[in-house]
Amino acid sequence: MTPAVRIEDLSVGYGDTEVLRGVSLTVAQGETLALLGPSGSGKTTLLYTVAGFIEPTAGEIEIGDVLVTGAHGGVKPEDRDIGMVFQNYALWPHMTALDTVAYPLRRAGRPKAEAREAGREVLALVGLAGLEERKPAEMSGGQQQRVGLARALARNARLYLFDEPTAHLDSSVQRSVQEEIARRRRDSGAAAIYATHDSSEALSLADRVAIIREGVIIQIGTPGEVYDRPVDVWAARLTGPASVLKAELEAVTADGLDVRVGESRVSVPASGSPTGPIDLLVRPEWVKPGGSLKGVISEVWYRGPYTEYEIRTPHGMLTTSMPGWPVMSRGDEAGWTIERAWIPDQAGQDAPKVS
Amino acid sequence: MSRRWDLKWVALTLLVGTLLVVLVLWPIGELIAVAIEQYGLEGADAERARQSAVNTLAVGLLVAVVAGSLGALGALVTERTAVPGKAWLRVGILLPILIPPFVSALSWTRAYGPGGLTDDLLGVSADGLFGLFGVVAVVAVNAVPLSYLLTVAALNSRVESDVERAARISGASPASTLGTITVPLLAPALAGIGALGFVLGINAFGVPAVLGSPVGFRTVTTLIYEDLALSARPEAFRRAILLATGLVVAAVTFVIVAEVLLRSVGTAPRSAAGSGPQLAKVRPRWGVAALAWAFVATTSILPLVALGLVALTRGVGLPPVPENLTFANFAEALDGRLLGALLRSVGLALLAATVGILLGAGVAALRKRRFGGVFGVVVLMTFAVPGSTLAVAMILAHGRLLRDTLLIILAAYVAKLWAVGHRAIAGSAENVAPHLYLAARSSGASSFSAVRTILVPMLRPALAGGWVLIFLIAFHEVTMSSLLYGPGTETLAVAVLNLQQLGDVPVSSALAVILTVPLLLVAIPLLTSSRIPRRFLGTG
Repeated sequence: MTPAVRIEDLSVGYGDTEVLRGVSLTVAQGETLALLGPSGSGKTTLLYTVAGFIEPTAGEIEIGDVLVTGAHGGVKPEDRDIGMVFQNYALWPHMTALDTVAYPLRRAGRPKAEAREAGREVLALVGLAGLEERKPAEMSGGQQQRVGLARALARNARLYLFDEPTAHLDSSVQRSVQEEIARRRRDSGAAAIYATHDSSEALSLADRVAIIREGVIIQIGTPGEVYDRPVDVWAARLTGPASVLKAELEAVTADGLDVRVGESRVSVPASGSPTGPIDLLVRPEWVKPGGSLKGVISEVWYRGPYTEYEIRTPHGMLTTSMPGWPVMSRGDEAGWTIERAWIPDQAGQDAPKVS
Repeated sequence: MSRRWDLKWVALTLLVGTLLVVLVLWPIGELIAVAIEQYGLEGADAERARQSAVNTLAVGLLVAVVAGSLGALGALVTERTAVPGKAWLRVGILLPILIPPFVSALSWTRAYGPGGLTDDLLGVSADGLFGLFGVVAVVAVNAVPLSYLLTVAALNSRVESDVERAARISGASPASTLGTITVPLLAPALAGIGALGFVLGINAFGVPAVLGSPVGFRTVTTLIYEDLALSARPEAFRRAILLATGLVVAAVTFVIVAEVLLRSVGTAPRSAAGSGPQLAKVRPRWGVAALAWAFVATTSILPLVALGLVALTRGVGLPPVPENLTFANFAEALDGRLLGALLRSVGLALLAATVGILLGAGVAALRKRRFGGVFGVVVLMTFAVPGSTLAVAMILAHGRLLRDTLLIILAAYVAKLWAVGHRAIAGSAENVAPHLYLAARSSGASSFSAVRTILVPMLRPALAGGWVLIFLIAFHEVTMSSLLYGPGTETLAVAVLNLQQLGDVPVSSALAVILTVPLLLVAIPLLTSSRIPRRFLGTG
């Protein structure tokens, strides 16, 4: 089947600076791809280029089976069949919620009464029934972004672009807007690219996650893949908490590598035979209490559902977490077991040496 | 903080209050009282007053429409179109700020008038240059920078780029985005800009003096000048007072309207993340750029070139070929009497700028104190009072003591331009959040050293900018000084105007060049590089 979007070797530059370099990715029909990266990494630029607001310096974009890049700016934004939700809502201050949602339908040539009726339905769908005549200034941030979502839905497009839609919302409503977006996107059956800097948002919403750093896609995979097997330490820290310990290669086995951290051993599902000391990546939940890896607790943070411990070991700082109240305190010495680990690219640069 | 009545605050309050009464309220009150008392014009006097009012109204309305639409068009071109050489185009559009309007009028006559540059080269001259058409054209061109800057500010604060992008991605074409989103959002600001354009049109004096008076096209301001400066009849004096009163009422009303309409500009919420990346790598619009530059060239550059050529040519009517070129006009322009005028203009501008900034700072410092708000409003209203009216009012209030002295001109300048200093400082002081000052205090700074080390450095650009602005306006000022000067107190701008009216084309051109070109040479590099335009235009 034709992918919903195919991006091939895309580059974008402003003046002398390159914002995107050689970006290639595809999004399948009905798939949600999260674009995860820190601010300034080029997420918005990539979305704007797909939307047609920015012309690439090189490469091409196909939406459905239509090549939208090309001479004279390619296909214009209004002809690209895209629904977009903006970070700062981008609502029109002079229009009511209903006029805003009816706007795409009006531009598509639907008669006014019909567009308003359809708009009313979409607003009800996102939980805004009764607020049809409100203007942006009379709505909360969460309500405004729901209008933004309804406007994108009303476009009835085959592709949605979400540009950090919850970044400006209070944390208390972030979750509900996130869930609303995920549900509506799923019901529509359309594909989506969802830009965010929040790893938990990316991991929970997406079918696949693309990690972007300084305009380059450094890893694409399912949420499980990018979390369990991050391409490098930078990607590991972007996708969640992670500790790095100094380890040594013990043996190469059929299943991967056996490495040693002090007295403690762990097998890693990686290939290759790195020489010298290895930076071993350990997620908090991969560590269990009890075992031969000794360490002194240097910090204890109670987080509510769980407690986080920072442990000073001879091989580096190790972070772990356990459910419930703190059971140990600062200065306690204890033994630990590393149950799982991962060997990211040692240079921390573009290509993984072991995978 | 308690509102203590420290001695220094009492003193400052008294000083500012006294000066406001002496410089503003008293003259205006005197003016209105005398106008009512002296009312009663008849026959030709009344007819001429009526005709000038009609002309003034026409100029105001046409300038509002022309300057408003040209400024808005320019803003759309530089802010929403991929024109090549954007930074220089902005400077081109802002160029008229640096040229006194009456010098523009002079240079237009040298470029397009009979015997002007286009007449010499192509045998084409604009017959309508003298009269309503020419007055409106030149006043409007000089009002374009203001209308452009305000539209740009409105575009940047009211219409985020994402708001337009949202329309495009919803299926709207560029034209339909402009019609359904951009223009409706700009509407209040555009109306306010129109109101300001109207005020600039009715207050204009230098341009109708150069382009209207020779053909008997009188506006309220030029009729006031005729009545006060060229006539000794008591009826003429009465009429001047009446006209000045009418003018101030119209101007102040429309300034208030503009203030209200423009209030939204710059205060609309702008999200922290801004508008995302600027549109980049779109096809450069060479055609649009060419049109825009053609406008700049016709309205500013060509007239200035023509003015310069006339100033450098030996006599009127001679073609500007090498053997006819001379510096004699400049030598004559800088000789004796006129050199004195130049020095007086520079001195007055220096004094007005320094005093204006200090008084502006005084009003800003009193802002949060008792009466502070009232002072701020009164100072701003003074700025709205037309120069012609203010000058008449000054004569009525202080004429007996100060008539024909430089002091009365300085007083008028300070009264008028005080607001510029105040606005520059107050606007900037709003941006210095109180917690910065409080942080300095809690870091161990005394109140004096907190002001010295935190507030003054943060306000320095605003102080410098306000000072330069007042200097520039005062140096170019002709409306008030032409009514207030006496023997030996002629300013450079008045000298140019008088020479022009006497028909001394080469020397008045040379003087106009002296009045304009040095500032252009200093200001253009500043406009292209400094943060002033960038802050204005919000592209930083």
